[in-house]
Amino acid sequence: MGEPMIEAENLGIQFVRNRRRNLRLREMIIHRGGRQPAAGMFWPLRNVSFTVAAGDTVGIIGRNGTGKSTLLRLIAGVLIPDEGRIRVRGAVAPLLELSAGFSNDLTGRENVHLVGSLHGLSPSFLRRHFDEIVAFAGEQIANAIDTPVRHYSSGMKVRLGFSVIAQLPHPILLMDEVTAVGDADFRKKCYDTIDRLIAEGRTVMLVSHNENDLTRFCSRGLYFDGGRLRVDGTIREALDAYHNVVRP
Amino acid sequence: MTSGVVAVWSHRTTLRLLVRRDLAVKYQQSVLGYLWSLIEPLGMGAIYFFVFGLLYRSATHRHLGDAADSYPLFLITGIFAWMWTSSAISEATNALTGQARLITTMNLPREVFPIGRVAGRFAEYVAGLPILAAIAVVYATLGKIDLGVSLLALPLAVLLQAILLIGIALLLSSLNVLMRDIERLMRLVTRVLFYATPIIYPLALVRDSGLPGWVKIAYEVNPLVGIFQLHHSIWYADEFPDARLLALSVGGSLLTLFVGAAVFRRLEPAVLKEL
Repeated sequence: MGEPMIEAENLGIQFVRNRRRNLRLREMIIHRGGRQPAAGMFWPLRNVSFTVAAGDTVGIIGRNGTGKSTLLRLIAGVLIPDEGRIRVRGAVAPLLELSAGFSNDLTGRENVHLVGSLHGLSPSFLRRHFDEIVAFAGEQIANAIDTPVRHYSSGMKVRLGFSVIAQLPHPILLMDEVTAVGDADFRKKCYDTIDRLIAEGRTVMLVSHNENDLTRFCSRGLYFDGGRLRVDGTIREALDAYHNVVRP
Repeated sequence: MTSGVVAVWSHRTTLRLLVRRDLAVKYQQSVLGYLWSLIEPLGMGAIYFFVFGLLYRSATHRHLGDAADSYPLFLITGIFAWMWTSSAISEATNALTGQARLITTMNLPREVFPIGRVAGRFAEYVAGLPILAAIAVVYATLGKIDLGVSLLALPLAVLLQAILLIGIALLLSSLNVLMRDIERLMRLVTRVLFYATPIIYPLALVRDSGLPGWVKIAYEVNPLVGIFQLHHSIWYADEFPDARLLALSVGGSLLTLFVGAAVFRRLEPAVLKEL
């Protein structure tokens, strides 16, 4: 096992509500120094410390707006913390937004090559596995692979995005509400893939509101409330803590 | 600073991919495709030739020196280099805001996005070089210009311009995320810069003019002045910038790069939250 894959140490990030409005000239003049500097600042996450070992499957639980997605972004490196540290050993395959970073003006085919290459897949690997990726995404996408992604439905984008991410050899997999979209047929494929990836020993962090998904895939659970890590234990313990708050 | 350079260098494949994608998107729905990157500057050149080469012929010729008999070449040289400058500035400004989706889902060094825009417009500049060379060869065979060592000014001009543009791109792209006013402001600023740089007229026109001394000094502080003098000196050795102008240009470009990189570094956390 050795060193942990993900290590968060007193992690915190601060957001500003309505930064753009604060910057407006009119407001600068009207409120010149009159407002407390702390107004509109809040911490979506603070004092968060945990470690994740290789092969752990972690479910992240909490009500809306408690910093779950922010945490995944910090792990993925697309946000920089204001406090503390996050150390990630190994490449991360992130499925954060439903679109997976697709450019709307490019076709599905071009996007698969672009996003795949940006994630570090070689052109020859992508060529060899291209049919597999498209087949996994489903017939609807195979028919539309040469039309621009802006014509895709959100379900189609997620399916194609997931197909690309599933090909990545990266040891850490981040998923944000992936299984909430897509039809039953695709959900089954997703489950099989996630099972396969977990069996390969990948480290998985999953944000979900679906209790079945969480108990099915995750052994560990992190329960967040108000930007703080409240429970770090088994998935059962985390879910129980969540239920105590939601239905007291 | 150094870590940024290392990060960008190790992601040069990413840079190439983004540039290729930008070019593909840009030309995908136009019939003439990349020819537009030639038609536009050539059209602009024709307009300025009409006004300054024909209508104000005598006034223009008095200050052109070696270039008096080949004003179209002088014009096109400047305008091709200017197209790179102006389009790189305008496209780099929204390099981060326009690609927010990619930036917020993928952990890449954020610097590659603005630098990619500069590199993409450089590719278009390179695509125009054969046209420029062809025009120069025509004038050389007519005996109007001499091709020689002065050609070496081209790589120097390109290097300086790249340094300056990357600095500007880093600065503007990050600022524009926090203040969208930058985008509009730069539309005006680039227009001012076009006339405040010896692109369609020779520097001698400014130096020989009756402008007050401080205006002339302020004019030459603009690093683009030296860069465009270098561009013109590719064909006209007498346009090669003097030591002071060259030093101002090199210093200004490097300073812009350092300031741009520092601001980008400083604003990066806030930019990522805001996207």
